[in-house]
Amino acid sequence: MSRPDDFSDTDLSAWLDGELDVERHALVEARLREQPELAARARLWAADRDALRARLDPVLGEPVPAGLTNLVWQHREPPRWARAAVAAGLVITGALVGAGGMWQWQGQRSASVIAAAQSATAAGTPSGWVQRAALAHSVYVPEPRHPIEVKAQEEHLSRWLTRRIDIPVKLFDLRDEGFELMGGRLLPDANGKSAQLMYESLDAAAPKQRVTVYLRKPDSGAPTAFSYRQQGELGQFYWVEAGAGYALVGALPKERLLALAQAIYKQQPPPLAASGAAR
Amino acid sequence: MPNGRKIATSTNVSVCVSAPPAFRQQLLAAIPRLRRYARSLVFDAQNADDLVQNTLERALGHWRQFDPRRDIVLWLLSIAHNAHLDGLRRDRRLDVLPPERVTEALDAQQPLGGDAGLRLDINAALERLTLDQRSALLLVLVEQLSYAEAAEVLQVPAGTVMSRVSRARVAMREWLDGSAGSGSARAGSKPDLRRVV
Repeated sequence: MSRPDDFSDTDLSAWLDGELDVERHALVEARLREQPELAARARLWAADRDALRARLDPVLGEPVPAGLTNLVWQHREPPRWARAAVAAGLVITGALVGAGGMWQWQGQRSASVIAAAQSATAAGTPSGWVQRAALAHSVYVPEPRHPIEVKAQEEHLSRWLTRRIDIPVKLFDLRDEGFELMGGRLLPDANGKSAQLMYESLDAAAPKQRVTVYLRKPDSGAPTAFSYRQQGELGQFYWVEAGAGYALVGALPKERLLALAQAIYKQQPPPLAASGAAR
Repeated sequence: MPNGRKIATSTNVSVCVSAPPAFRQQLLAAIPRLRRYARSLVFDAQNADDLVQNTLERALGHWRQFDPRRDIVLWLLSIAHNAHLDGLRRDRRLDVLPPERVTEALDAQQPLGGDAGLRLDINAALERLTLDQRSALLLVLVEQLSYAEAAEVLQVPAGTVMSRVSRARVAMREWLDGSAGSGSARAGSKPDLRRVV
């Protein structure tokens, strides 16, 4: 009746754990009746289980250390942008760290422009306004309550900023890239005013991330090359196009930031003169 | 000229970046069980609470990933398991407390009662199991999870949990029989129990 090779430790173990189906359960119980040594083994295993529980269950009754309770109540999620801001803030006060990676906009820019921009970067220049863009990013992105001045209500925000900084401000739609416009603010810039648009990641499952787009009227003769540089965690793509200077700033991997820059580039409004909307 | 695209209005500007109070309450309620599991994994009470702290920090940092339909204890045990593995990779010392240190550490935790001899032996026997066997055994026997739940925590198939628990029991009992020097249990049923391979 008993076939020793159709029965294993695993069956007995699973029987103790109540994990067998009805048929198998009945088989184990039959074996236990037939074989006293098997029943003895089951009792030992049950005793081991009880000893384990007796050893560990008292932990449940111990007072929870205050450190753990406090941690749960006081924990603030360290936002990625806060860490980036710290990193950037440290760098901003000092010299540029390296020349930054230069990046050619899909080969559309001439080598000479790239070279000019590279030398400018190496000399620590391009840079004043890009630096201000990074600084503005670091200041406002970690702001929990008032990261923006005006919420993303398209017409009002766009008109307001366009009027103030004297270049067309378009509210770029980055939702295809997983970012949603929060709003914008007006900022002082060296030669007048600039605007900052702030976007936040849409992915609810991941920590929120924010990127900013900094817009300004470029200085005459400013290098127009599409460029990239990295300060700590903070990546910055910047370029001058159609009478406007753009800096996209965010603590994102370069490829991700590039995808956003490309989306912005494609949505760039035509210059005021070309659109005939002289003001 | 605004085009036809509608930009969704961000109504909640002060974005909530931290875990909501209800989530924190759930964490607090789960701490005792987390501590028990951690204690069984790393033995030393201080290291165990470090693991609990690490687990809570990870949970608080990733609270959005928690599906409220799930059992939070399973989720936390799973995080603890991964945190423990990460810790081992970083610092192998955690896993190689010498047996006498284990007994010492466990003895320091609580007064002995009941079958103190067996409990001391159980500690030493536990320490001799592989981490895979130990975690499966503890989740099923002490945390009293089903094989399916333990499988979820350990991210292995339920059949793997079943065989790990069984092997852990066999290994633990063999060690106890051997170390106890008593021939009675050892001479018993073992020859009748053959694994079906």
